[in-house]
Amino acid sequence: MFQVKADILSKEEVIPGVFSLTIVSPEISRNAKPGQFVHILCGSENDNFVLRRPFSIHRVVPGRAFEILFRVVGKGTEALSRAKIHESLDVIGPLGNSFTYSEKLESALLIAGGLGVAPLIFLAEELAERYVKLYPMIGAQEKAKLLCYIDFKRMGKKTYAATEDGSIGHQGTVVDLLNRTIHQIRPQVIYACGPKPMLRKIAETADEFGIDCQVSLEAKMACGIGVCLGCACVTKKGYKMVCKDGPVFNARDLVWDQDEVGRLPSGGCMCETQETQDSD
Amino acid sequence: MSVNLSVNLAGIKMKNPVMPASGTFGTGREFSEFMDIKSLGALVAKTVTLRPVVGNKPPRICETNSGMLNSIGLQNEGIDHFLKHDLPYMRKFKVPIIVNIAGNTLEEYAQMCRDLHGVEGVSGIELNISCPNIKAGGIAFGASARLAEQVTAAARYNTDLPLIVKLTPNVYNISKIARAVVSAGADAVSLINTVVGMSINIKTFEPCLANITGGLSGPAIKPIAVRMVWEVAQTVNVPIIGIGGITTAEDAIEFLLAGATAVAVGTANFINPRATIEIIHGIEAFLKERELTDIKQIIGKVKT
Repeated sequence: MFQVKADILSKEEVIPGVFSLTIVSPEISRNAKPGQFVHILCGSENDNFVLRRPFSIHRVVPGRAFEILFRVVGKGTEALSRAKIHESLDVIGPLGNSFTYSEKLESALLIAGGLGVAPLIFLAEELAERYVKLYPMIGAQEKAKLLCYIDFKRMGKKTYAATEDGSIGHQGTVVDLLNRTIHQIRPQVIYACGPKPMLRKIAETADEFGIDCQVSLEAKMACGIGVCLGCACVTKKGYKMVCKDGPVFNARDLVWDQDEVGRLPSGGCMCETQETQDSD
Repeated sequence: MSVNLSVNLAGIKMKNPVMPASGTFGTGREFSEFMDIKSLGALVAKTVTLRPVVGNKPPRICETNSGMLNSIGLQNEGIDHFLKHDLPYMRKFKVPIIVNIAGNTLEEYAQMCRDLHGVEGVSGIELNISCPNIKAGGIAFGASARLAEQVTAAARYNTDLPLIVKLTPNVYNISKIARAVVSAGADAVSLINTVVGMSINIKTFEPCLANITGGLSGPAIKPIAVRMVWEVAQTVNVPIIGIGGITTAEDAIEFLLAGATAVAVGTANFINPRATIEIIHGIEAFLKERELTDIKQIIGKVKT
């Protein structure tokens, strides 16, 4: 892991309130693996003391830069959305573990709700290079809020979409879509990221079909490097730290405790749970 | 012109007055990727207990204005694991190591002091009698002068190492507690531990922490800590480690002026892993700028 002062190369408001930032860091881009995250100091030094915000690495420009994708949900992301091109950010990364796959992997289903798609693009690009057959499945409230549909399309992948209003793809949730299509697809592995209640249902489906399932979690986090023990999640082997033991966990190892699920309403690109701790 | 930053903390010789606060630095392993641990005045290990502790339910932390609440619950692997796995690693840095311990009973504190007796590389013991996030022990000892005295005496009887007692701010009269632990044999005191606080999510009507309350740390508590260090410095004649929201060299200097011989940096480590090192450089620059040659020239020099 590195602590770098990294310049913003480009910034785009992908859909209203959702931004992508490309940040120059050869160190981070060279070492990053899909599923890992960066911890960014958001806002100027004159601002109030604010914890770093974690962001999934959305994609890398090999050897040069990396991209993050986030929604403005609190004061950290709000400050970051105002950052200007060429401005320098204090970034620590790459952090955490990564999605894993065997050399022999032939097919994978990538499923995301909302901003959960952020880490899956990086994974999809890496798996595509290895000629793994990919089934991307993404969901949103409506077509206008569906993220990364075009990115998957550009990769030449048949992309399954679910929207609550049916404006594109299946009308309903991405979990419904999964349950309707899993029989035909039968992937070797499912990679999932999104709100925890959604992940829980995906884990149940994966379990039912005996499919290996890896989920990327988020939690309120302080240090991001495994020191403060703040971002604990409950697993069958006891408390594990989302920042260091995760953010990717095998779904079978997690304890999907109802109380805890209720306490973690959002999910996706790492920063959302962190951000919802302030009153927006 | 060279500046002498070294301090002697109750027999612990530190090349500068800056150390991490217990529980914010692990064993230094993660931080060694960002900074040279050897530059620190001392290393302070995360609280160890006699037996492993699993810690509290999540969510364990929550950001607040200029600070954060935590309720980790002293998660650690126990002293045997610490001695076998963590201490040998920490020794490699060749800086004084202060081992922070917490117990549920007087006997547990005493037992851990015996376990640490004669162990290579241990320069001092810090008694955590101020953790607000565990049910038994912890703050229960630190909030009563009588119990604080008893636990210090129990530790004192079982160790010859420099003994530091970490005090809680969650008391009416911290000077009284400081006097009690010094009378029982404490060689130094460190203050403050976190301030008990609470935060509520108004969307869900639920407390932000699963433990409901937690310990507040960060810049929000600094003025409380400076006041308490200043008060305790008037009261007892042992060195003080000043702790509470130190983020910059300027913050550290306030504590030194208030009467702290050394300072510990806590929550700032989470935001800037190089915070300790930057503070050391900043203190040195501050002294040079004022043509001072020794850090002792500012310790306790607040003009009141």
